[in-house]
Amino acid sequence: MQSKRRAAKLVLVVMVAGAALAAGEVRKEFRYTVGHHSSVSISNQYGPISVKPAPGNQVVVTAVLASDKVEIDASQNGDRVDIVSHVLPDATADSARVEYLVQVPPDASVSLHSVSGLLHAERLHGDVSLEGPSASVDVRDITDAHVHVKTMNGPVTLVNIRQGHVEIASVSGEVTLRSVSGSLVQVNSTSGKISYDGDFGGAGRYVLTSHTGDIEAIAPPYASIDVVAHSEKGTVENDFPLQPEHTSFVVKAGSAFAGTVGKAASSVKLFSFSGKIHLKKR
Amino acid sequence: MTCEQFRQILPEMPEGVCDAEQDAHLKSCSECSSLVSDLGFIIRESRLLQMDEEPSPRVWNSIEIALRQEGLIRPAGSPAHVSTGFWHWRPAWALISATAVVVLALGVAFNQHKRAGHEIATIQTPAVLSAVAPPAKARRAVAPEDRQMLDAISSRSPVMAAAYEASLQDVNDYIRDAEESVQRDPNDEDAQQYLMDAYQQRAVVYQMALDRPLP
Repeated sequence: MQSKRRAAKLVLVVMVAGAALAAGEVRKEFRYTVGHHSSVSISNQYGPISVKPAPGNQVVVTAVLASDKVEIDASQNGDRVDIVSHVLPDATADSARVEYLVQVPPDASVSLHSVSGLLHAERLHGDVSLEGPSASVDVRDITDAHVHVKTMNGPVTLVNIRQGHVEIASVSGEVTLRSVSGSLVQVNSTSGKISYDGDFGGAGRYVLTSHTGDIEAIAPPYASIDVVAHSEKGTVENDFPLQPEHTSFVVKAGSAFAGTVGKAASSVKLFSFSGKIHLKKR
Repeated sequence: MTCEQFRQILPEMPEGVCDAEQDAHLKSCSECSSLVSDLGFIIRESRLLQMDEEPSPRVWNSIEIALRQEGLIRPAGSPAHVSTGFWHWRPAWALISATAVVVLALGVAFNQHKRAGHEIATIQTPAVLSAVAPPAKARRAVAPEDRQMLDAISSRSPVMAAAYEASLQDVNDYIRDAEESVQRDPNDEDAQQYLMDAYQQRAVVYQMALDRPLP
């Protein structure tokens, strides 16, 4: 029975390898030994980058190259590792595609860049910086770290970020935050929708700003916030009973509201020029 | 004889008959010669059609109504009535004329469609990216200070350039509105922050464009 399983596994491996060879794919692996708080940077033109933690002090980069039209320039200087996809002449989006799967020590700082692939990082407690004009960004389970995201039109999703310092700038991509809290959570968007679902933590500053995109914030009844919301040309809606407070602008029903909920532990500012703002009670 | 003069008398010319002056013009002008050749082809084909099947009176009525609506003919009794005899022509000639009108109209429509199609293709280029890209909207003139950057991107990736252009337009609107807010109330700290945020968005676009090599 065991030998049959082994044979089946062998056949599977041969088939996968055969398919990869047939497609012209090349698999490469890079290993680096680093110290505490190392820095890992990966820049890719086409294709996803996924970063996960691994015990120990090794950075392991597995790259699947779609063809020989793309190379990988990898280097290490002390505790800094730099990986760059080097696109060769006459390459296309398909032939220059590289898929990265990266394992880093949990305290490593990670910087990822891709023009259009998915950027994913999870379970780290070093700083995370992700950028890409059309890249989709997905960051999960990060604790006690900076999370910086910049996209032009790619969607951004952050889930379960604790004690974070979160800064997101996206021109038109939709930004979704679920269970995100920290000393600073700041989202700046031009036309993308901003959705926040969380309790706004205990002593943070939350600033969600858009030009034309809608802003929706969902919080539990026990949330402790000092909230100001203002939409110059859009509408605002609030489901919480607010204790009134002094504001720097005239609070006009329907276009602005301000007040406190609970002990007002966190500051929440929701600003839009013409988007709709809604503070919902969960 | 000029092309304009030739085309003015063309409808009056009996088929295949022209005088020396007209003949000389046709020999010297490929455009008019081609037009006469096309019309001859239409007339010949229309005759074949007519021989195959005589349309019902309803067809003539429909054509007449359409031509009246287009103003190409006027109701009987009108002072400038072109042809007391137009609808008294033999059906074959009426069919020929109607077919010619339809073919010419189709030609015009086809050309307009081609032009429109080209314009649509040009405008919708950003949509390629946007799974990502914003919904199609009217394009405005690009600010001169942005043109240089967009030209640089365009030379490497036209599709990306379209996405950058759309983003810059959105961001410039953001800045314009934020500036107006500050002008209304220069002491409003939130408005000042809003303006800084707007400029940050512009900085993001430029950073994306210039920091890394484009595909």
